Amino acid sequence: MGLKDDLERYRDVGEERRQDLAEFIQYGDLGQSRGDSVRIPIKIVDLPEFEYDQRDQGGVGQGEGAEEGDPVGQPQPQPGDDDGDEDGEPGEEGGEHEYYEMDPEEFAEELDEQLGLDLEPKGKKVIEEKEGDFTDITRTGPSSTLDFERLFKKGLKRKLAMDFDEDYVREALKVEGWGPATVYEWARERNIPVSKAWIDDAYDDLPSDEKAVWDSIEEMEDNVEKVETSQRIRREGVDQIPFRREDERYRYPEIVEEREKNVVVVNIRDVSGSMRQKKRELVERTFTPLDWYLTGKYDNAEFVYIAHDADAWEVERDEFFGIRSGGGTRISSAYELAAEILEEEYPWSEWNRYVFAAGDSENSSNDTEEKVIPLMKQIPANLHAYVETQPSGNAINATHAEEVERNFRDADNVAVAYVSSPEDVVDAIYDILSTEDQ
Amino acid sequence: MNNDRFAKQRIADDLDEPVEEAGNLARKLGLKPYPVNYWIVDYDEMNELIAYGGFQQRYPHWRWGMQYDRQQKQGQFLGGKAFEIVNNDDPAHAFLQESNTLADQKAVITHVEAHADFFANNEWFRMFTDGSSRTTTDASGEDRRRGPDAAGMLARHGDTIQEYMQDPDIKRAEVERFIDHVLCLEDNIDQHVPYSPVETVPEEFEDIEGADVTDQLDDLDLSEEVKRQVFDDEWLDAQRDDDENVTFPAEPEKDVLGFLRKHGMQYDEDAERATEMEDWQKELLELLRREAYYFAPQKMTKVMNEGWASYWESLMMTGEQFAGDDEFILYSDHMSKVLGSGGLNPYSLGLEIWEYVENTENRREVIERLLRVEGITWRNFDESVDYETVQEHLLPPEWLTDVPSHLDDLDPEDPRVDSDGLAAARDGEFDVEQYPWKVLTYEGLAHRHYSLVKPQYRGFVSRIGQEELERTARYMFDDSRYDSVEEALADVDYTRGWERMREIRESHNDVTFLDEFLTQEFVDDNDYFTYEYTHASGDYRVTSTDHEDVKKKLMLQFTNFGKPTVVVEDGNYQNRNELLLAHQYNGVMLDIGQAKEVLKRTFELWGRPVNLLTIVKEFDDHDVEVAKRRDREPEPEEVGKRIRYDGDEVTVTDVDWSEVEHLTATDIDYNTKPDEWLA
Repeated sequence: MGLKDDLERYRDVGEERRQDLAEFIQYGDLGQSRGDSVRIPIKIVDLPEFEYDQRDQGGVGQGEGAEEGDPVGQPQPQPGDDDGDEDGEPGEEGGEHEYYEMDPEEFAEELDEQLGLDLEPKGKKVIEEKEGDFTDITRTGPSSTLDFERLFKKGLKRKLAMDFDEDYVREALKVEGWGPATVYEWARERNIPVSKAWIDDAYDDLPSDEKAVWDSIEEMEDNVEKVETSQRIRREGVDQIPFRREDERYRYPEIVEEREKNVVVVNIRDVSGSMRQKKRELVERTFTPLDWYLTGKYDNAEFVYIAHDADAWEVERDEFFGIRSGGGTRISSAYELAAEILEEEYPWSEWNRYVFAAGDSENSSNDTEEKVIPLMKQIPANLHAYVETQPSGNAINATHAEEVERNFRDADNVAVAYVSSPEDVVDAIYDILSTEDQ
Repeated sequence: MNNDRFAKQRIADDLDEPVEEAGNLARKLGLKPYPVNYWIVDYDEMNELIAYGGFQQRYPHWRWGMQYDRQQKQGQFLGGKAFEIVNNDDPAHAFLQESNTLADQKAVITHVEAHADFFANNEWFRMFTDGSSRTTTDASGEDRRRGPDAAGMLARHGDTIQEYMQDPDIKRAEVERFIDHVLCLEDNIDQHVPYSPVETVPEEFEDIEGADVTDQLDDLDLSEEVKRQVFDDEWLDAQRDDDENVTFPAEPEKDVLGFLRKHGMQYDEDAERATEMEDWQKELLELLRREAYYFAPQKMTKVMNEGWASYWESLMMTGEQFAGDDEFILYSDHMSKVLGSGGLNPYSLGLEIWEYVENTENRREVIERLLRVEGITWRNFDESVDYETVQEHLLPPEWLTDVPSHLDDLDPEDPRVDSDGLAAARDGEFDVEQYPWKVLTYEGLAHRHYSLVKPQYRGFVSRIGQEELERTARYMFDDSRYDSVEEALADVDYTRGWERMREIRESHNDVTFLDEFLTQEFVDDNDYFTYEYTHASGDYRVTSTDHEDVKKKLMLQFTNFGKPTVVVEDGNYQNRNELLLAHQYNGVMLDIGQAKEVLKRTFELWGRPVNLLTIVKEFDDHDVEVAKRRDREPEPEEVGKRIRYDGDEVTVTDVDWSEVEHLTATDIDYNTKPDEWLA
């Protein structure tokens, strides 16, 4: 109970009633969204009520000098309105004027889910080197970073390696007829790490009456139990660990390279005379979701918009989908400009690059073969795509898409998609985005 | 967290005095507010409160989440506007936003006191009782009728619904859906009659079919008096009627929710038939119905109530310098924002009408006095009355406008002087510069703030029309009481404007308020116009600036919550237990798309097929084309329709005009299109 719960339930309810994402991409009103927030219409999220037909109801407005017949634009908020913030189309059925807002990340996530995409963005530019965990080690350093645990273990190992059962070796010296040399030999054979000097000293210290306690070594071995070092340490404890300077290690932090997942998307569009309203709309419908998707996928996304007819020029997003010019078409002009911009501002070593072009496949003769295709090969990019928008089937000279497709049949970073109606948009987006996966 | 609390505490300490004095001043001005508890909340809490309809504890529902979401998004555009929330509750609870300036807080407090007065005294608010008719003793020691315990009631509702949602035997989603169904009909109540609950325990007599009620009464062994009073013949007839009459209700029932509560069933998917509602469903339906009745008066009096609060706020803040000098600019700024926001703003609409009421009543008082002067009649009024002189006489004496400088001259015997207050002021118990009103009585304050001498209303008396003069004079008998204008004006009752305003705030709602007081003058002064959708141009066009037209369009927005009236016409339609709702057509058609959706929800509360009779306007395509070409409006044809939902699909059938004719209101026409536009 409480606000959190109710907000969550609202989101659920909103989600249930939200326009299906695919449907939205194909037919929805994309213009309501901005780059940083995608607005998906929600069908009648509020409860229905008996209400007047908005058109039939009319209303009251306020304004100086109003005269009969003047248009009033949208109905003004009325005091009887519950909220006063309803800004829907008048007379439309059931108040479809709510929007579910998602950010591009959510959009990308949902699109992944719906289309089964799984594009893993690559980190490119190193933006920061920072200290990671203290996992690297060195031989010198401030004492606070001394890896004592390591030093202790090393010392312990050293101790285990050097230690032997002194009493046992001493017993061997008590074998009749055995001198230091024989004992040393014997100890070697048994891998007892004892030095000759120690044996000599021990032999000297041995009282003369104890020099023949055992008749033979076999007798000694049968009667005296050798105590393993580990056992003795367990029993008596370690009285001294031999710490050595050479065992000292100091920790220092690992240097981690943070790579930013940044992307530049070049949107190229043919704005020549043959690109009529319908074709333009199809380009917008295809490009816009792609832009959102990549914005959502990458940490940092930048966009370059290039319009071209026979020449190419860079434009702002706002104008991009609306421009119409009269000239002919030379697609290579756009790729030349794209190459230039990418080279200067978005080096391949630091940026993921997507180059999307769209048009009706019409191009000036030989331009595709002689210039565009070599340019596409020269511009390194995660993905090149060409979207052909041709609402009325094929025009005879419109062969750019086919030529590109033929030339790059074996390339895994070139996609060609055909969109002749809004229904094709989702498939086109899938084709394009799934190309890079492979 | 602690810091936050301290900050709020500091703000609260600063506001202690303004709160107390605003209450005192309000009472002095003749208001009788509920006591108000003030709470300091931060911006998020304020948004939350707004989303939940002003209360902290409501039942769980996604709609609150939606409203919060909207509120937040709006807030992003408007910035932290000085919100004010006050509940119709006894004591009332008001919430002040932490981030407001002191000037804003004071404005809100004065505004709130006036709202609390409106809640306590408007009779539409009295229609709602939560069952317990309580009396209480207020600050002045007077017994008064106790208002609702709304916060408690809503919190209890919340708990009940919460419990049902957590009940393992009931699916949470089912409870939520059921709430949705009921909320679709929340405005379909009879807001003009007092709320009375439909009891959850079925009435005993209804249960026993066929048993003769008279016999049962005899069994009860009641005294003759009781029988005569309670179970009179009319009641007995009604009982019998029920048995025989296959169509019910006898009269169209506006309280659709109440009807569904009494006779509704649920549709059992598995059994594929209607079954009795579960107990929780019945209880929930009644709970939500009660809330609908509780909130109805606020919806019915928005313009009046906001205007009322703005009026007294302005008087206290500006007239009584409740805002300190340094705060005044801020206050004016705030006020102009509130009143200046576009569209039809209930604050400014209400405020202006209240001021108009005050002025006309005060003017009537003056005119009536003057008409009683020997020799003055409505015919020679203009020639014999010098408005300048009248204006001079009405001015309050200087000691009333500037109390502090005349403290020593005041006469404690003067009815306009509060003798206790005067004594206290002379003893220096309070700062008379800050609270000059404490030295004055209600009468004194009424004269001090007399509307007709304010600069903006100086010409109001002189603007009186012949017609009104004549009307005023017509029923006056005692017409030569005074010898001179001076003598007559000396008798002017300066409180009359306020008295009248209080009477109106007691008995009116927005519909009657606008109907009675929205004048041509008002409409013209404020440049109101009406607009309609025109088919010729495909958009909305201005249709009229005539005040009659503006008024009727406005009335449409206030009558019945601005919604079409839909009633239960038959609970046994065509003898098949179907529900027949009827839309009482006033010339404006329903939003058919939504109506169908509502029917689907209603089905869930009736359990059997539901029908709606309505009238729609149909346009012949050819007519529309022709009209467009001639730049004229096509004439629609009104057609009767019956929309039916049987649990499976919605069907719409044309019905004979005779079936819907009774639903049409013949005396109203909300269409404001000029006749010459018609094709």
